[in-house]
Amino acid sequence: MNQLTENAVRYRWTAVLGGVALLLGLSMLGLSVAAAPQQPAQKLSASAIQVLRTQPSEGLTIPEDFRAATYEHLIDELEKTKKFQKVYRDGDRTAASVTDLVTVKLTPEAFKEGSQKKREVTTVSGATSLKINVQFVSKDGKVLLEKSVEGKVRFFGENLGATKDFAKKVAAAVNESF
Amino acid sequence: MMINSRQVKSSVTGFGIALFLLSAPVLFSGQADKKAPPDPSKVEDTQCVIGLEGIKHGNKGTLSVEGGALHFLKDTKTKAEIPISSITDIYLGNESRQDITGAGKVVTMAIPYGGGRVLSLFSHKVEVMTVEYTDSNGGFHGAIFVLPEGRATPMKDFLVSQGAKTTTHVPAPPEPTQEQKP
Repeated sequence: MNQLTENAVRYRWTAVLGGVALLLGLSMLGLSVAAAPQQPAQKLSASAIQVLRTQPSEGLTIPEDFRAATYEHLIDELEKTKKFQKVYRDGDRTAASVTDLVTVKLTPEAFKEGSQKKREVTTVSGATSLKINVQFVSKDGKVLLEKSVEGKVRFFGENLGATKDFAKKVAAAVNESF
Repeated sequence: MMINSRQVKSSVTGFGIALFLLSAPVLFSGQADKKAPPDPSKVEDTQCVIGLEGIKHGNKGTLSVEGGALHFLKDTKTKAEIPISSITDIYLGNESRQDITGAGKVVTMAIPYGGGRVLSLFSHKVEVMTVEYTDSNGGFHGAIFVLPEGRATPMKDFLVSQGAKTTTHVPAPPEPTQEQKP
């Protein structure tokens, strides 16, 4: 009789423990299922990045000072992200030895000239905008990321501000994806 | 004692002539200074907008050419230089690259939406000089300077005379003229 009672108690405990384990397992599964959509997409990684000069674009003439300002601002902003050990400039011979180098290609798509005077007077019109297609390309030529980024200067400031705005937006995309 | 009016007139005239003769050297030397062209190798009150290592964006200083290099001097501690031999191109104002389409031809202005003029970095009238150069590893740099009026072209010419390279550029398109009604 005592033997039977002991066995019954043992079975009961086993059943309780099994139930708890099952519940824990199910809840863990539920949590992981719920968390799955929130997991970020797989991030890109590279030890170094090289920014090429803006590519020529058909039928669109952009003054060289604008191109140079865009380029220099982008180099600055990419360095600020601290995502890469080195940010190489176009033509830098030492970049050739980096095996996981990512190259940034810039192709201007459109621009609209605004007016600083209008911006200062109305603060709603007179925005200057510059749209550039940005490609991040791996060493084997695969396009890892492509975005059309628009730099704008809406309120106060020179058109130069549009180039800085563009560079900041590209840096934000890099922070998101790398 | 009577003073003759003729005597007064002659003494005033004499005083005037003496004053003119005394001040002539000062007056003419001033005019000579104004006519003398400014030194193309040194431009003070220049703003470095961006692109020089060690110089903060927008710093003002003196741009000068000496010892085979273009120097930007903010103060004795803050300075930068670009060897002239490393300069690959110099652009003034809104000039663009000629090979913009890759076909080596001059392209006409096309603006996708709005506008009618080339996009300018600055809305007010300033003289902008963009100096493109390579560093010791061959990396491309673009330094943008804003110079006082009338000083950019002589500076560019002087740099070219010292060995800086330039290519043919597309000039900025002219300002649109108002339509004339018949």
